[in-house]
Order: sequence, then structure tokens, then C-alpha cells
Amino acid sequence: MTRSPLTRRAVLRAIAAGAVAAPVLAACTAEDGPPAPDPLAALAARARADAALATAVAAAVPALAAPAGEVARVRGEHAAALQAEVDRERPPSSTAPSSTPATAPPAAPADPAAAKAALVDGLTAAEKEAGGVVAAVPRHRAGMVASVGAACASLREVLA
Amino acid sequence: MQEDPGADAPTAVPPGAAQPTGIPATRPPMASDTLDAVQAALGAEHAAVWVYGLVSAFLPASFDAGIDVGALAHRARRDATERLLGASGATPRAAEPAYLPPQPVTDQASALALLITAEQDATVAWRAVLDRTDDADVRAAAAQALTEEAVRATKWRIVAGVSPATPSFPGQP
Repeated sequence: MTRSPLTRRAVLRAIAAGAVAAPVLAACTAEDGPPAPDPLAALAARARADAALATAVAAAVPALAAPAGEVARVRGEHAAALQAEVDRERPPSSTAPSSTPATAPPAAPADPAAAKAALVDGLTAAEKEAGGVVAAVPRHRAGMVASVGAACASLREVLA
Repeated sequence: MQEDPGADAPTAVPPGAAQPTGIPATRPPMASDTLDAVQAALGAEHAAVWVYGLVSAFLPASFDAGIDVGALAHRARRDATERLLGASGATPRAAEPAYLPPQPVTDQASALALLITAEQDATVAWRAVLDRTDDADVRAAAAQALTEEAVRATKWRIVAGVSPATPSFPGQP
């Protein structure tokens, strides 16, 4: 019985120390290093890459001009909307490099089957990536990301 | 909820269709905005089930397989949504006795147009759920439904010769 008050005091002290320590640790974590990258930035980059490849395929493979053009249009709109959301939440500083660096256009496979497979692979990967992001974002982003994934699945039908 | 023993009861569940697994017998109640959106999505599924039953009479036999797959998928989604609502302590909204198509169905073209409308309406309803829930189970179900229905809408648009075959953001109002 005599040990009980001591123990209780020790416990209270430990709790108090913990309560103080936790915010300090949190603050340190927040200030150390750059913030985690926005998950939508990766989706936007993938959409830009898909659109660029589809544009190249549409130009190089006449048999795929219409469906590849459709992929280029839709994925281009995805890239714009996703990037706009990234920039809205975390406005890019004017000194930072552009979030959409110019890259060399990808080489389109001349073989129609290989070109189609490359587009389908990109859409499949994009749908999967969007599916993972949907679960982890706030609701105001979940709908848009899910629509992007649904459009990628739908574009595979356009290419089928 | 057990399988509906009615005449339209499916005899098999297609691969990839909504499964009863993953929905516990009871779960916390849904927030009111989530609940309203899920009930609306259930309403869209009821309507889609009705539409798939209506249109088959206006389409040639070559469409039977696609109609069967779509009808089965919507019944499975309807049943899964009813289970989700029931487990959350809500009473699932009942189907209407009939629905009024925006255009009368008289031939193949109007039948395909109604199928596209039904799938599109369902994508809008599930996208609205995504915009109104933080519940992981509800969100996962809504994203899966949105994708499946966007794909079916695209398939029907391609069959009907409608362009573009997919909107850039399916379900976005």
C-alpha cells in the first residue's frame, strides 16, 4: 500500500513527460527535410507520359490514330486536372523549377501490336496506381482520382 | 441477405462481381451525407437492373452475353450495397415498381441508348459517394463500382457507335 502513491506519482510524471515530448518530436519531424511528395504528382506525371506516348503512336501508327488520339486527349486532361490539384494544395514557388519539365517525346513502336501493348500497359499501371491512391486521399480528391482510374480502364476498351 | 429466389435470380456470380465477402454482419452507422449518397447509388443499381431486363427484348440474340453479364453485375452490386446498408443499421431503399426512360425504347438504337444512360447514371451515383465518404469500405466499393460501370458504359458506346467512347472523368457531374 505504501508503494502505491509513489507508483502513481511516477506514472503521472511519465505521462507528463510523454505529453511534452510528443509535440517536440512531431515538430522536429515536420521541420526536418522536405514534406512528403504529393501522391497526385506521380499520377499527373504518369498521365503526361501516357499522353505523350499516345500522341507519338497516333502520329506513327495510322491504324491506331483514332484510339491513340483518344488516349492522348483523355490522359492529357487527367494530367492537367491532377497537376492543378497538386498546385492548388501546395502552390509552386516562382523560383522552383516548373513542375512540368519538357521531356523528349517518347519513341513510338512502329509495330501496331507493340504500340498498342505499350499503351495498354501504361493504362493498366495508371489504373492500379490510382486505385492505391484513392484509399489514402481526403474525400475531395478521392472522386477525381477514382474517375481517373475508371477512365484508364475504359480507355483499354477503346484500344481493344 | 440471401439470393433473391425470383425468376431473375442469377445462377452464377461472374468473376469480378461484387462479392458478399468483406462486409461484416454489423458495422458502424454511416454519416448522414454518406448514407444519402449510398442510398442514391442503390437507387441507380435498382434502375440499372430494371433497364437490363427491359432492353433485351429490343436487342438481337448476339447481345445476350453482354446483357447477361451486365444484368448479373448490377444485381450483385445491388445485393452487396443492400448488405452494406443493412450492416450499417440502415434500411436499404426499395426498387421502384417501374422507371420512366428518358426516351421510349422501341428499337436497338434506343435500347442501347438506355443501357448507356443506366451505366452512366450509376457512375455518377458512385462518384457522388466517393465525394461524400471517409469510410474505407464504402470508398473501396464505390471506386470498384465506378470503374466497372464506366467500362460497361464504354463498351455499349462503342457498340452503339457513340463518340467519344469514354468521358475523361467518368461519373463527374
